[in-house]
Amino acid sequence: MSGKASPASIAAMYQEALLAHHRAPHNRREMSDATSSAVFKNPVCGDEIRVFVRVDGGQLVDVSFTGRGCSVATASASMMTDALCGGSVSDALATADAIDRMLATGDADVALPATLSPLRGVTPFAGRHGCARMAWQALREALA
Amino acid sequence: MDSHTPSSMLSPLAPRADFPLLAANPGLHYLDSAATSQKPTAVLDALRGFYETANANPHRGAYALSAKATDVYHEARATIARFVGVSDSDCLIFTRGTTEAMNLVASSWGRANVHAGDEVVITALEHHANFVPWQQLALASGATLRVVEVTANQSVDLDQLRSVVNHRTKVVAVTHVSNAVGAITPIEEVVRIVRSRSSAVIVVDGAQAVPHLPVNFDALDVDFYAFSGHKLLGPMGSGCLLGRRALLEAMPPYQYGGDMIEWVRDTDSTWNVLPHKFEAGTPNAADAVGLAAAVTYLTRLGMVNVRRHELELLALAESKLAALPGITVYGPPVAQRSGVLSFSMTDVHPHDLATILDQHGVCIRAGHHCAQPLMRRLGVSATARASFYVYSDESDVDALVGALQAAQSLFSAAS
Repeated sequence: MSGKASPASIAAMYQEALLAHHRAPHNRREMSDATSSAVFKNPVCGDEIRVFVRVDGGQLVDVSFTGRGCSVATASASMMTDALCGGSVSDALATADAIDRMLATGDADVALPATLSPLRGVTPFAGRHGCARMAWQALREALA
Repeated sequence: MDSHTPSSMLSPLAPRADFPLLAANPGLHYLDSAATSQKPTAVLDALRGFYETANANPHRGAYALSAKATDVYHEARATIARFVGVSDSDCLIFTRGTTEAMNLVASSWGRANVHAGDEVVITALEHHANFVPWQQLALASGATLRVVEVTANQSVDLDQLRSVVNHRTKVVAVTHVSNAVGAITPIEEVVRIVRSRSSAVIVVDGAQAVPHLPVNFDALDVDFYAFSGHKLLGPMGSGCLLGRRALLEAMPPYQYGGDMIEWVRDTDSTWNVLPHKFEAGTPNAADAVGLAAAVTYLTRLGMVNVRRHELELLALAESKLAALPGITVYGPPVAQRSGVLSFSMTDVHPHDLATILDQHGVCIRAGHHCAQPLMRRLGVSATARASFYVYSDESDVDALVGALQAAQSLFSAAS
């Protein structure tokens, strides 16, 4: 079929940088002193990701996640915790917006922290955008 | 049959050349027929033929073309009734599919007959289409919903059914074949169990049965039976509800409007006879004609042969999958399943599998299969599901196995 993913785009999505986060996710743990947490459930697949945050003076002192998901959902959550820990809440929300924009437009010029660049490989797979966005949607709710 | 295929290979039962989409995509391995089947030229020609030679509103005009539309619509009903063993074709109601048929029964028969204190029995194997309508009926009526569990290999637990059905049971709704794992329910045994313990109405979801097994409604001795056209080579938006005449005649209409009425007075109305009472509005005559062409095509193939073909492919696929590490196959043994292979692979999420398989031209379903109650009991959020049909062959099995190996090596690559 013409809509089929190319071997190159498959390799770009399942690059080692993404798979490494899937095999050994960072900050996958509950957070007993979280100031907030929120869960996002994907009704399409039944997967769910819960994101914990500890906010102090507008800064994200700690970010973690729990739950189950595919490689893209898990890796996205793992990279997110790396990218946002120690930054400001406003920067975190701006990054969440940038992820949405990058997926929606496929625009390679959307600026992202280097930690998140493996997520650019998900762009050609519209059916997987929802997987990449799960943790970010939970984050938004936790920070709302 | 393809004369170039070595005799040791399993060929398709129906030539791929009969299916324009498959013929145009020789590298495509369509293993999602449990979701929807591909359509043969015979069905596409029948649809076009209706619009080109018989298109008018049935049951309306005092002119020849409308009479012709009426005739072909009724012939379609008779053809489909013969295919599923309904001797009284007035008891075959055209619907948009199984989902609408189940909603029709739960709304019309259910609201008139199920009350507080009654019990409604469903199973954990059900598709949401045969689960949620009954759950909501129970909530609205105050009846008690009883969910019969599945056995260790995801078949309906008949022992539990025996213990659950009692004189308060008003309805037992059960799937004939599970869409998620392919388990075949022995309906004859369900009927014996239910009839010996209650006067409950038996409703069967046949969406995954009629396309794959010989089904005879009269012989099954159930009260309602539903199936969808698009899963058995027919058009999307077509389907049927089969019911007992006495029940259908006693039930209130499901929808109101044209065609389903007899007389409309200012303050009340009376209803048309069966099947029209349940077919409000202009009927979907074209898709009924398309569905009749589909069952004619399947009759020519022979449903016994369809069943045998799927069993051969399933056995072959399962033996080849057994050679791969980390594969768990769900459901009962092959002989008790339709052509469905529901599985998971250690450390590879079904969505990742589906994406990688797609690159190899292999279409499978990954997800909860509209069976979240069953997924909860399996302790998974999703499974991967490959499903076979008349046009499937050994090359599809080999492509599936090869793509699964590719997924496995990608995910286990040196870290």
